[in-house]
Amino acid sequence: MRKNRNNHALAASAFLAPSMVGFLLIAAIPFALSFAISFTSWSGIKGLELFSPSFWQSNFIGLENYSKILKSKEFWVSLLHVGQYMVLYIPLMLVSSLGIAMLLNKPRKGTAFFRLLFYIPVLTSWVAGAIIWKWVLDPQYGILNDILARIGISGPAWLQDAKWAMFGIVLASVWKDMGFYGLIFLGGLKNINPIYYEAAHLDGAGRFQSFLKITLPMLTPMVFFVLIISLINSFMLFPQVMIMTNAGPAGATQVIVERIYKYGFSYYKMGYASALSWLLFLIVFLFTYLQQKLQKKWVNYDA
Amino acid sequence: MRNKMQSKKALSTLWFYVFATGVGFLIVIPLYWMIITALKTQTAIFTYPIEWFPSEITLENFTDLFARFPFGRVLLNSTIVSVAYSAISMVTCCMAAFAFAKIPFRGREALLKVYLATLMIPFQSTLIPLFMLFNSAGLSNTYSSVIIPSLFRVFGIFLLVQHMRTIPDDYIDAARIDGASYFTILWKVILPLSLPVIAGYAVITFMDAWNDYLWPLVMLTKPEMMTVPVALGMVNGQYERNFGVQMAGSLISIVPVVLIYLAAQSKMKDGLTLGGIKG
Amino acid sequence: MLKKSTVILMVILMVLGLFAGCQAPAATETTEPVATDEAVAAQPAAPEAEEPITIDFMNFSANEGGLLTLGLMKDLFEKDNPNIKINIETFGYDTYATQLQTRVGGGDAPDCFELGLDAFPSYVDQSAVLSLDDLTAASTTDLSVLTEKSVQAFSLDGVKYGMPYSYSTVVLIYNKDLFDQAGVSYPTADWTWADADAAALKIKALGDDYYGLIQPISTYEFFKVVKQYNGGLLNDDNTAFTVNRAENVQALQRLVDNVQVTNICPSTEQRGSLDEWGMFKLGKTGMIVTGIWAFPSFTTDCAFAWDIAVEPGAETKATHYFANGLAVSADSKNAEAAYKWIEFLATSEQVAQLRIQLGWELPCATYQTAMDQYAKLTPPANRQAVFDSLDYVVPVPQIAQFSQMADILGAELEAAANGSKTPQQALDDAQAALEAAITLG
Repeated sequence: MRKNRNNHALAASAFLAPSMVGFLLIAAIPFALSFAISFTSWSGIKGLELFSPSFWQSNFIGLENYSKILKSKEFWVSLLHVGQYMVLYIPLMLVSSLGIAMLLNKPRKGTAFFRLLFYIPVLTSWVAGAIIWKWVLDPQYGILNDILARIGISGPAWLQDAKWAMFGIVLASVWKDMGFYGLIFLGGLKNINPIYYEAAHLDGAGRFQSFLKITLPMLTPMVFFVLIISLINSFMLFPQVMIMTNAGPAGATQVIVERIYKYGFSYYKMGYASALSWLLFLIVFLFTYLQQKLQKKWVNYDA
Repeated sequence: MRNKMQSKKALSTLWFYVFATGVGFLIVIPLYWMIITALKTQTAIFTYPIEWFPSEITLENFTDLFARFPFGRVLLNSTIVSVAYSAISMVTCCMAAFAFAKIPFRGREALLKVYLATLMIPFQSTLIPLFMLFNSAGLSNTYSSVIIPSLFRVFGIFLLVQHMRTIPDDYIDAARIDGASYFTILWKVILPLSLPVIAGYAVITFMDAWNDYLWPLVMLTKPEMMTVPVALGMVNGQYERNFGVQMAGSLISIVPVVLIYLAAQSKMKDGLTLGGIKG
Repeated sequence: MLKKSTVILMVILMVLGLFAGCQAPAATETTEPVATDEAVAAQPAAPEAEEPITIDFMNFSANEGGLLTLGLMKDLFEKDNPNIKINIETFGYDTYATQLQTRVGGGDAPDCFELGLDAFPSYVDQSAVLSLDDLTAASTTDLSVLTEKSVQAFSLDGVKYGMPYSYSTVVLIYNKDLFDQAGVSYPTADWTWADADAAALKIKALGDDYYGLIQPISTYEFFKVVKQYNGGLLNDDNTAFTVNRAENVQALQRLVDNVQVTNICPSTEQRGSLDEWGMFKLGKTGMIVTGIWAFPSFTTDCAFAWDIAVEPGAETKATHYFANGLAVSADSKNAEAAYKWIEFLATSEQVAQLRIQLGWELPCATYQTAMDQYAKLTPPANRQAVFDSLDYVVPVPQIAQFSQMADILGAELEAAANGSKTPQQALDDAQAALEAAITLG
């Protein structure tokens, strides 16, 4: 068969067609609408009439939303909080989910049971998870401070303390997500040919060495995936903040998506909220763009 | 020598159980709390400090749940939606991922970046535009409204792309020499090598569809069309927080996902499933 | 090569087509707008056009045990108005605001809907709800059963935009057993905060983890508390913020001192994961300032005797007024019919009875028998205090940006409450932040 460029493009479009349809309906059109809204002062509680000139006459405000946001302290503070979350969450989550995947990779008695167990938090809704963790992090009766007290540490007020609230949210998030990313890593681990391990073992390599030289390099595509996805998700941090602290105490856990939700659905300033979303988009896009550039340096696709 | 190896193995096994149990304990406690809350009376739930061994067990939360909604119907709705969603999503994601990973075409990387970029806008800002689109198309209160998004799951596409890229091109070249079409390559070469990842994805996507909240909330507003999370969200009133019923509903809700998980587990066979590789 | 992929594509499209047709067994009733004459609307009893009009009605209060009664109301109304059919949609309170907004903003607003007092000014500001003056004027129903205060609550600039539905107020709830234990006489309607604080101190002295008085330090409480000191968060015509007035600082100072100095009020840290109600229910707190909607919950969960009194004042008394109302969408094609329905609901005696029975809020329609019924329910014994409180109500600031104001001010109040800022500092910062973020009409 001749390798014809047209054939490739044709084949590709056939395989991509269903997702393209979805892309248009779920993404392209709504995004375009949202982008248009970001240049207006639309409240969100009056019908959106994008095709009526009177709507544009009374609502168009150009870049005013964007400039207001960039000048507001609130925006940068929320961004900072998201950054705090990421810096704590991502390393912890990577280590714990990889650890779990490694732990559950070898077939042992009870592995299947434990695999299910670690996955349970992922299945629970944040409503249940938040209630549970609010209790775990209770300064006086919570289990965490109880354990800390037993080893002589006086635990902080966690969710009621502006300095520790975000860390509390990080802990709850790691608990909830580690089974999820663990499952993904597990899929990646299963893909590694055991021949490599056998060969390394014959060469006298220890467990840690084979981990460093075989497992990790071969897992890099998955690590990259988990990193990108968790990065994007971290920027989108929302349900935990709403349910556990409601952006408190005193605004200490205010984050961007929480602001978007509040402006859009509580303060009735949907135009402002849309502008916030697009600024967030820009930031996330830049971050992931950088990550992708660096990808070539450490991600290894060779089998 | 033999004894040393045996004791080493025993030690690592011990380590495994200690560690797994320790972390497992952390997971079990909240689950246990959910179970006892579902079985407690309303008053007992708010007793403080927490009653770990409830003095009184009641099934009233479960009966209340079925009294409030046609919960059987709600479970059916969730099942239909989640199964269709996962099935369609798996097909479309495999197809799209294959195109991105193994078909050289112009603009491939750019398009993938565009797909990925769609994850970077929070759903809250597209909720009303999406509603306008689907509602004016008459799709409110239909299954399609919540199933159509399965056509475009960037998470799945990206996951499978990353995985498929690790499959050496030699396999594909080998198949081409035998005259295989792209579809045959996908079906006979790539998919068998991707089973563990696809199985993992199946669980994740089923769970996502099952637990999806905000979109079904605005699309499926009639009681007979509601899915489980939406129905459970109705349980709390302006003044009344009914955790017992919520937990009862959440527990029932977890069961199908757990079943799917166990089913998918068997696909995640230990060791590698190789098919037809030759040097 | 293409053939197989096309086949798959076709299969998928077929599957989708399958589901697209799969609708709920009860087909969606579409609103069939029929041309209704203005003249005909003015005589509701006159026979209407043949096609029945369907009115979509969204609400949340029926979700807590009121579904059956609401259904009965619908039947009653439809009997009297055979050409109008009501399509009731009831949702949970938590999600209602989002669901309503999605419908309204998405261009598919229900004909009429329930609206809380907090969202009300915003919807009016955006012209999302209809002015009801003409409709009420033309109505033949006796609307005098609705209290003046409640009607005013849902009017802006003298124009009526909503029918009042239910209301509630905030009172002082106290633990009688603890008062007896500490040898303190019960609160009366004349109490000032000085009296309350003195009693609180005595109760706190009962033990280490005892507290005297829980007063939430949030905007929703604060806007009323400042009125007790003749202060105010806004100026008289709501055109400027006056958050850091001396009177307001004084009010906040006392609240903060109660937490930080005398600790008769537990801090958020001391409460931990318990909310204010949970704390009071433990039985070690003397008094709590909270809404009358707490009665059912306290009745079931409080293992001690309790009663209520009108909220204490400072220079003067001021009490809270929360309400839910019913409005007609500005986009409704059947405004007159929709109005008839909400007018019916708002003035209905049966609905009033139901409210009393459910026990959380009171109906804005004052029927003597219902009120007597309410007054007789115990606990608490002193239900009269609820009605006495109505003499001192101050309205929620009716500005469209109240939600945002509440959040901004709330964060500063929190900071003052946990001691990281002085009250003056907190209110100064709040004033600055509010002026920067919100432009008042």
